[in-house]
Amino acid sequence: MRNIPLLVALAVFLSSFWVETKEKKAELHPYKLEYPSSFGSRFVIPADNPTTEEGVALGRMLFYEPLLSSTNTVSCASCHEQTKAFSDGRPLSIGVSGKPTRRNSMSLANLLWVKNLFWDGRVSGLENQAIFPMTHPDEMGQSLEVSAKELAKTTRYPSLFRQVFGTSSITGEQITKALAQFERTLISADSPYDRSLKGNYTLTASERRGMELFMRGAAPERGVRGGNCAHCHGGAKLMQEVFHNNGLDSIAVADRGKQEISGDELDNGRFRVATLRNIALTAPYMHDGRFNTLEQVLDHYNEHFHFSPNLSHELRTSHNEPTKQRLGLTSSEKKDIIAFLHTLTDSIFITNPAFSNPFETKK
Amino acid sequence: MIHAFLKLLLSGILVSVIGIQGLFAQTLSVTGEVKTPLSLTSSDFQSLERIEVTAKDRDGKEHRYAGVPLTAILRKAGVTLGGELRGENLSKYIIAKAGDGYEVLFSLAEVDAEFSGRTILVADSVDGAPLPQGVGPFRLVIPDEKRPARWIRELKSIEIRFAK
Repeated sequence: MRNIPLLVALAVFLSSFWVETKEKKAELHPYKLEYPSSFGSRFVIPADNPTTEEGVALGRMLFYEPLLSSTNTVSCASCHEQTKAFSDGRPLSIGVSGKPTRRNSMSLANLLWVKNLFWDGRVSGLENQAIFPMTHPDEMGQSLEVSAKELAKTTRYPSLFRQVFGTSSITGEQITKALAQFERTLISADSPYDRSLKGNYTLTASERRGMELFMRGAAPERGVRGGNCAHCHGGAKLMQEVFHNNGLDSIAVADRGKQEISGDELDNGRFRVATLRNIALTAPYMHDGRFNTLEQVLDHYNEHFHFSPNLSHELRTSHNEPTKQRLGLTSSEKKDIIAFLHTLTDSIFITNPAFSNPFETKK
Repeated sequence: MIHAFLKLLLSGILVSVIGIQGLFAQTLSVTGEVKTPLSLTSSDFQSLERIEVTAKDRDGKEHRYAGVPLTAILRKAGVTLGGELRGENLSKYIIAKAGDGYEVLFSLAEVDAEFSGRTILVADSVDGAPLPQGVGPFRLVIPDEKRPARWIRELKSIEIRFAK
């Protein structure tokens, strides 16, 4: 009977664990992905990796975490800077080896809607995508197993992983899952163009002319001039998941693009049609960063592209002038299109504190 | 010098590979809710039921398209058409995909001539000539539609799925 107080104390002590475990489960809050209804819900979030507030917060830390690289100096954010709409401003990127990467760092916006990632679409799903840059010897150069061990040694991460994934040890798979959760939240839908659709911004005369040229295909027989850009870059998200040969080379030899994945000759020099959201911030352009300015890009489509055998059908057949083989837009029309492209810069996206370096804000 | 020569040689090989074999190497796959998955080549197309239709393309001009009716291909794959197109089979749909990744959807019922009365063609020739590169070897032609946005060029695959 003397032991009763002890037993009660023990019971209280044990029940505190029970309460704590229950609370841990309840602590995960579903993350509400917010986007315009016009963007639609044509995306799949893996059932084993639901997006949660806690998972996204962890993913954000990992995105900025140099411990995930072999030199402890490179993070995802090294080549995906928020101020540049998560690109890096270089033709090719520099990682742990100092050797340039093969292709231009892609802007990370609205990846929620992208099924097959990279310039050649080689990987399905953001969880699988993250493995490549982390382990590539010229990018972050560290195996996921080593990264998991590095994180386990810190004071910060073990409890966060336990909270999000409910396991006592950190795994590589959990790292990719958390990163994917964060990347799904990188939604850009608040540019002046988006606001103009809601009536909250009035396009200038030049921007409006540029938008009309951007959206419209040329029909000289009806006196209609157009850049036909939207055929591949259009839709509510200004992004379609298609892969085209845009005549950068007569035959793509150094980098054969999608052909390297599919083995199909018709995929020679086919690359992802990149999103144009924040395009004014993501120079240089193309998979190899060969164009420094939007003017050079417009000149390419208007005047210079090669008639490669599998050139995009739209490029082959869009003409404003019967005498010109290519688009044949005037220089002032090109300027208008560029003015419109600048309205796709989402200053809220590139300054959103939720996407910024969490370690810097803590300072 | 040697490097330049090699590059020239390589691009020469590539040009000939693309030029000569490019079109012939292409196949059309039929997968999903089928009895027999198919992978059809241009020569397979010659041995199937062939028809010709006249239809207006994006250029606004009438063209003669020849090829195989979509239903003939679906029947060869054992897709539930005709009398079998009832009950839950009416919640089946087709995803047709182009070489560049472009995808469009048809309900299975709308493509079945017995059901909807319409003929959809998988064309391999236009005005008596094989479809040009970038359009062929296979293209969907839907004569009665006012906008040719589902006339997929470089048709690569047809997948039959259940709406779940």
